[in-house]
Amino acid sequence: MPPAGIPPKRALPSKEASLFKEVLNLYETRQLKKGLKAADQILKKFPDHGETICMKGLVLTHMGRRDEGLELVKKGVRLDLTSHICWHVFGLIQKGEKNYEEALKSYSQALRFDKENLNILRDAAHLQTQLRIFDGLVETRHTLLRLRPTLRQNWVGLSVAYHLNGNLSEAKKVLEHYEMTLKNVPDYDVEHSEVLLYHVRVLEELGETNEALALLDVNAKSRAIIDRVAIMEFRARLLSKLGMEDAEHTWQALIEQNPDCHDYYRGFLSNRGIDLGRVMTSGKHRSQLIHVYLDTVTDENRGEALKCLRDFADQHLRASAPRRLALNLAVGDEFKALVEPYLMSGLDKGIPSLFADIKALYQDSHKQQVIEDIVEALREKLAPSPDDTAPASEPTTYLWTLYFLAQHHSYLSRHQRALSLLDQATSHTPTLPELLMFRARVLKRCGDPFGAVRCMDEARCLDLQDRFLNTKCGKYRLRAGLVEEASEIFGLFTKKDAPSPGADLEDMQSLLYLKEEADAQLRTGNIGLALKRYMAVQKVFDEIEDDQFDFHGYSLRKFTVNVYIDMIIWEDHLRSHPAYVYSAIAASQVSNLTDAEKKAKKKAKKAAHKVHEETKKNKGLEPGPVKDDDPDGTKLMKAPDLLERAAKLLKPLSTLAAKNIDVWIAIYDVSVRRKKYLQAVKALNHARSLDPANPELHIRIVHLRNTITALSELPPAPVSPVLSAAISTLLPDELSLEVFNSQYLQQHPGDAKVTLAAAKVSRILGAPREEVESAVFGVLADEEHLTIKASCGYLFRKLFVAQSVLELLNEIHSPRADEFRAACDAKFELSTLFKPASEILAMRHNVLEGDIAKEEVEKAEILS
Amino acid sequence: MNIRPARVDDLMGMQACNLQNLPENYTMKYYLYHALTWPQLSYVAEDNKGRIVGYILAKMEEDVTPEDEPHGHVTSISVLRSYRRLGLAKRLMVQSQEAMATVYRASYVSLHVRKSNRAALSLYRDTLGFTVKDIEKSTTLTERMHMRCGSPLKHLAR
Repeated sequence: MPPAGIPPKRALPSKEASLFKEVLNLYETRQLKKGLKAADQILKKFPDHGETICMKGLVLTHMGRRDEGLELVKKGVRLDLTSHICWHVFGLIQKGEKNYEEALKSYSQALRFDKENLNILRDAAHLQTQLRIFDGLVETRHTLLRLRPTLRQNWVGLSVAYHLNGNLSEAKKVLEHYEMTLKNVPDYDVEHSEVLLYHVRVLEELGETNEALALLDVNAKSRAIIDRVAIMEFRARLLSKLGMEDAEHTWQALIEQNPDCHDYYRGFLSNRGIDLGRVMTSGKHRSQLIHVYLDTVTDENRGEALKCLRDFADQHLRASAPRRLALNLAVGDEFKALVEPYLMSGLDKGIPSLFADIKALYQDSHKQQVIEDIVEALREKLAPSPDDTAPASEPTTYLWTLYFLAQHHSYLSRHQRALSLLDQATSHTPTLPELLMFRARVLKRCGDPFGAVRCMDEARCLDLQDRFLNTKCGKYRLRAGLVEEASEIFGLFTKKDAPSPGADLEDMQSLLYLKEEADAQLRTGNIGLALKRYMAVQKVFDEIEDDQFDFHGYSLRKFTVNVYIDMIIWEDHLRSHPAYVYSAIAASQVSNLTDAEKKAKKKAKKAAHKVHEETKKNKGLEPGPVKDDDPDGTKLMKAPDLLERAAKLLKPLSTLAAKNIDVWIAIYDVSVRRKKYLQAVKALNHARSLDPANPELHIRIVHLRNTITALSELPPAPVSPVLSAAISTLLPDELSLEVFNSQYLQQHPGDAKVTLAAAKVSRILGAPREEVESAVFGVLADEEHLTIKASCGYLFRKLFVAQSVLELLNEIHSPRADEFRAACDAKFELSTLFKPASEILAMRHNVLEGDIAKEEVEKAEILS
Repeated sequence: MNIRPARVDDLMGMQACNLQNLPENYTMKYYLYHALTWPQLSYVAEDNKGRIVGYILAKMEEDVTPEDEPHGHVTSISVLRSYRRLGLAKRLMVQSQEAMATVYRASYVSLHVRKSNRAALSLYRDTLGFTVKDIEKSTTLTERMHMRCGSPLKHLAR
């Protein structure tokens, strides 16, 4: 007899009932074949038994027969809508497909029919965490704790749920209860130690600093908390907050423990009221200036801070942190006195990163000059005199001095000087990869991508076992548009059994590779492939978002709560990562290309392809193509929901990268194509609040007015007036676009990007071609007077603008395009970007001549 | 360079550093597994822009035989070529080993290295004081050496 409450259609006779139990067991132990057999045995007699059908479906799914399995599960659920097993199985399948929202719905159904099923409750908690449904999570964790109060992780689970839901005081209460229930914690228990540290954190975040300190001290003393570094870090911070005397001593102890950690020196000084601030980068480009905020350092306390750092430096002779931090603080003669030994020691030891380390000081032009003077003087001192054939007295110091100065001058856009220094250094020591690597970088900065490739390749050949050189070399090849050649290089280090080097790098989540390859494909006109690679970047972030799922249960079992909470917070901001932002914008731009633009890109591809055929002639066998149903991204480009996907990629950025103006421009472009005009206007308003003079914004404002004016009918009533009002705040109705454009140009004289943007707008407004031409010819003269000239990236920006101008001239079929090209070619001496097409073709052809045979030999060496 | 305990938000930088530098690579899940199991053991070196230029990814050995003592294991350690000669690897190793010893009572630390990887071998043996414990017999060309470093801090006195 079936127990009461079981519907007749679910009840099975005892033989089948025990068979069904066996199915469950066999599934749990993953004996799939046997499980399938047992399920079939039941179904022979009871073909409509929903739970068995679901279990069979689940087993089949695990056996790789996904579609068949899913069909059965759905059928099983339909046959028995009140079975918790059926819903649980459905939930499991949906969870497996990472369809967390639907899975949670199924679990909720399952829980309706079996309220206290621990497995289902636990799974539901994980889904609620993944979906950030924290109210529900608190409830689920409560139920779990009520059902199994003896399980330690259930207490911690509830506390974490409260914490995530923003209720720290409840989290605290749960921890207090928990600690009271604990008996016989073994000594030296890492798990208990981690929970106590979590408790301290909760108290600190609640602002209960005294309580946090007391809890920490008691448990550190009794050795219940055993993570010494964590104890000291918490302690130092808490004591400082409380203004207690012992704080200084604790910071000192931390410095003792790890004299290379900058944070500890900052903490020590901050405790004395001297805030060193943070070194921060502003803007999204690495080349942009770095700002050091020396917040509370005054002339009065500067001396004190420097003395502290000097004392630490004396105590820790091999620590560079106190010496380096002092350079940020010191001024005038004191700076000179400190920087000189710092530089000397670095040059003597031949530290390659010395320049990278100190260049942040260059925003202070005085410091920059002092450094230049010191190192130039050293170079003169060490240089072998021309009439003397004897070698320099300090040959390696001399070498690294030349290397340093080359970096220094290139950074300040004195590239010729940098190259001549590198010549001297190379003739001195021809086999140092660093010299060739840096020469490659200088050439890249000057607009000679092929020369850069050649140098980087020479550097690589000096140390074939070094993957760093290999990666750089591949990256430079991609920058020069040598996509297949780059793949060959990457292949020297990727897994041999991978379908292709790129496939291995993609599997290993190399964002660097995916971004560079995508850019290279875009430049050579393979828009489908470019989009595919940008989407692959997005996929990496999807994977990382999924990765957290397993830890919702795991971390509670391991009691590593602090780091788990950190992970949750980090995952919530994951897509603020520069690689995501960059590729989301790029993917949206590619998705947004009009048919005409696609055609133009294809033309570029044809030209590039021709070049490629030429260069290919000398090569051996190419590796076979990767198996892929959309190898060049053609299908992807033709997807009907391309723009919707682009909008989806950009969506997280409106909160995670809201300070990035390019994000708003991209959102505008996609919104306006999707006819979401309100969204479009909003995006432009955001952009304007960030930088009203932005050239891309200027173009978009004109585009918006034109688009709205051209609409055959305005959007329906509630939207239309809001829209017109919003547009008129960007651009007053009475202002004509021509006037708007010329005002913009007048407001920013001499800015090449503005000139270019205004020319583009004139073109849109139907100005005669000659007018556009003469406007953009002026950009070569622009910026010459600007003070930013002497900064890294200055030349790069100029080259970029000149290339954009050339592109525009080609677009309008200007007869003066070649004249402009030739002018640029003459102006940018070291650049090859403005050579005639035939010359570029030849350079491309020659750059890697004879490389392939060499690579075969290298492969053998790397593997040896 | 700033040397400090690794945080979750360093993991992507560590992964990038690893991919650029070493032939043995891992997906993010494996980094997360380390960080969420042994949050005290991994360290990073960062430049003044906060870019990760070196790291040590470490764990405790999970399959310890009854006669063996608990010990740490270095899954991966790497410093970008352009940040060498600063002693970063050694400093990272010191911090990690100290954490292994204090938090998990590790008595020694082990690691694996390809026999052909001359540069790494010299770092472990000459700079960090590791000795070769055994050589994994393998049918492929790439024999792996199993190295260990005895009392963690003895060889690494600052």
